[in-house]
Amino acid sequence: MDKYYKKWFLPVVTPAAILFFAVIVIPFAAGVLYSFTSWRGTYFAGGGVFESFVGFDNYIAAFKNPRFTNAFFYTVKFTLLAVVVINVVALVLALMVTSVRQGAGVYRTVFFLPNLLGGLALGFIWQFIFQNVFSDILFGANGIVSIPFLTNMLQDSNKALIALVFMVTWQMAGYMMIIYITGLNNIPADLYEAAQIDGAGKLQQFKVITLPMLMPAITIVFFLTLANCFKLLDQNVALTDGNFNTRLLAMQILRTTRDTAPPDYGMAQAQAVIFFVLIAAVTLIQLSVTKRREVELS
Amino acid sequence: MKNTARIFCMCLAVVMCFSCLCGCGMERAGQDLYIFNGKGESATALAAAAKEFENETGKKVKTFSLGSGTSSIDTLRAEMNSKNMPTIFSIVNIQELKEWEEGGYVLDFNTVGQGKFKDLADAVPENMRLTSDGTNSYGIPYNVEGYGYIVDTRMVDALFGDGASSGFIKDVRTASYEEFQSLVEAVDKYIKEGTASSVTLSGTTYNLRPEKAELAGKLTGVFAVAGADKWTYGDHMINVALNAVFSNPAEAAAATEKQIESLREPMLSYARALDFKTTYAAGKNGPLARGADFINTTTANYDSAVQLFADSKALFIKQGNWAYTNIEKANGDIVETLEFIPVKLPISDAAVTAEGMTADKLNRSISVYVPNYYAINAKATEEQKQTAMDFLVWLNTSETGQKFVVEEMAFIPYNADHQDIELDNSLGESIIRYMESGDVISNPYGGAPVTWTTDVVGLDIMEKYLIKEKWTEEDYKAIADNAINKWKEMAGLK
Repeated sequence: MDKYYKKWFLPVVTPAAILFFAVIVIPFAAGVLYSFTSWRGTYFAGGGVFESFVGFDNYIAAFKNPRFTNAFFYTVKFTLLAVVVINVVALVLALMVTSVRQGAGVYRTVFFLPNLLGGLALGFIWQFIFQNVFSDILFGANGIVSIPFLTNMLQDSNKALIALVFMVTWQMAGYMMIIYITGLNNIPADLYEAAQIDGAGKLQQFKVITLPMLMPAITIVFFLTLANCFKLLDQNVALTDGNFNTRLLAMQILRTTRDTAPPDYGMAQAQAVIFFVLIAAVTLIQLSVTKRREVELS
Repeated sequence: MKNTARIFCMCLAVVMCFSCLCGCGMERAGQDLYIFNGKGESATALAAAAKEFENETGKKVKTFSLGSGTSSIDTLRAEMNSKNMPTIFSIVNIQELKEWEEGGYVLDFNTVGQGKFKDLADAVPENMRLTSDGTNSYGIPYNVEGYGYIVDTRMVDALFGDGASSGFIKDVRTASYEEFQSLVEAVDKYIKEGTASSVTLSGTTYNLRPEKAELAGKLTGVFAVAGADKWTYGDHMINVALNAVFSNPAEAAAATEKQIESLREPMLSYARALDFKTTYAAGKNGPLARGADFINTTTANYDSAVQLFADSKALFIKQGNWAYTNIEKANGDIVETLEFIPVKLPISDAAVTAEGMTADKLNRSISVYVPNYYAINAKATEEQKQTAMDFLVWLNTSETGQKFVVEEMAFIPYNADHQDIELDNSLGESIIRYMESGDVISNPYGGAPVTWTTDVVGLDIMEKYLIKEKWTEEDYKAIADNAINKWKEMAGLK
């Protein structure tokens, strides 16, 4: 087998490596470089690359930009809330689906379906739901049950945050549920039997068997939700378009070039680098923390 | 066997890389002119015109347009970064010009030698030029567009009696804001309570029919308002107020702190007019009051406002001639009888500081301006530039070129003798009548700091006021203060 890998390593890896280099590594390096210049999209203000070198000015300007700092804190709040909610919902769904005797496949499919919709379509669907179904039919003054909090959720920064969490949970929980189901199915049944004989209750079994044994799945799900929520863009654009102070970081970066004339691509790039460092740091910390809690059956 | 597979893989890898690196480089040989068109609406017509030019001159022309309504600026930047830069590209306004001017991409027409193109460029009316300092000139206009309150003359007949519309349109055009206000109030009462009263416009009295005609029975409000689309009250309605201080975009772009300060009164008038207008909005099944539903993006957007107007549920809609096709799609019966009337403000002469402007002229004019310019890429070769100039001369002066502009693109040409052209479009005809009488104002909003009109002032109004039932004097003041402070801040004057 080793010989086989040695022989095939180069021909198989080369195309992928070249592609990765061409479309990820080079643009990334160029992007980092641009973040230190006053790049305008088509030219460097002031002449060439070196004349337009501005050091850390773009980074300082980014942190001084109220739109960026707003988006930054809004994103952090959103991610914290969304990660918790998605995980809890996904885990509960997984536990429910694995415990039913009939029709598990149907439930699994139904819960998974929202994940097949693209971000923009999803955003527009939920925009309609929040503005018309929630605000008028279900929870409005003349609705089925009047719950003022759930009406016009897109017209207030905090309520819109909850609305975003609603939407991403609906979208992502099904996918995460599948990962949890796989994790649950991998837990040997005899562990539960033994625990039962020892007199452990359901809650205790969940705490000392299910959770520790599920740690590998939790690691992955946390990683995916954390990274995806931080990077959320399409849904944000479609659902609120940033109105009522609801710009998340990705959208803030996208719109930065439209906020000034001439467009400030250098500053947008600096924001993107900060964004990258932030996501990398948070996910790496998360991975090492959750990994340490994983147990292996020997 | 193993060797063949290995060679196959290698080949695949090589092909993949080559296709990656060269994919974008193909298909550029033998092309004399590349036109990047920012206005998707004219894509087909421009391509046809280019084809005709090709046949006449033997030069090979490539045109590129994105779909209508999409911003093409990012694509244009990408094209400018490539080896195959466009020679002709479009620029929307003076704010967008900054980028291309700083990067050295635009050719100043003052530097062009004598010839047909120089004549064409010099003939562009001064107030229509794309200029950053008043002397340079960077663009040949695509066309002119205009906007105001669109009104269906059949509806006017239905309200005031058959044949009333011809006099009404003339009189409402010159009417004062107060007269317009009482007209709106009278029509509103007529809609809601059926009270037939009379209104006086420019000295003539018009009586509402005692018995509601069928068409008038459909009305649910006076104005169709797109509360969710900030640009309708951001860009266009604010622009009327800006005309009180600035005569063109270049002046707005170079605004001094004093000039911005003198915007305060016009912005207060704007806030009052907007308050008044949004109080009498039409809805789907009855009047639409300000509140959460007023800015609902699924029911109070541009398309739904157009639909309300096309369904004869509103008397006025503030839109431009670009809405013609949308109105036609919503209700084909209505498009032939449309007219523009001016967007009026409660403003006094003392608050109007722009040169040659009076409150009266402001209130009897509609905004007519150039929405897009053809610019020539200064970084192109001399030969390419020459072909570009030849094309623009051909398009704007030759009979065939003009035929494409007027008939195929359905544009109102910026330079034509307006008596000679026949537009198959009621709104276009209406604009031409305003241009002939000189009752037109400019588009200084194009010179305001980027995003100031929509994402700053418009957004503030949407988030804080359109959802609010009653506006107070304090609110008017807050709107004006915010507008002025933010402009100063964004222009770096603060």
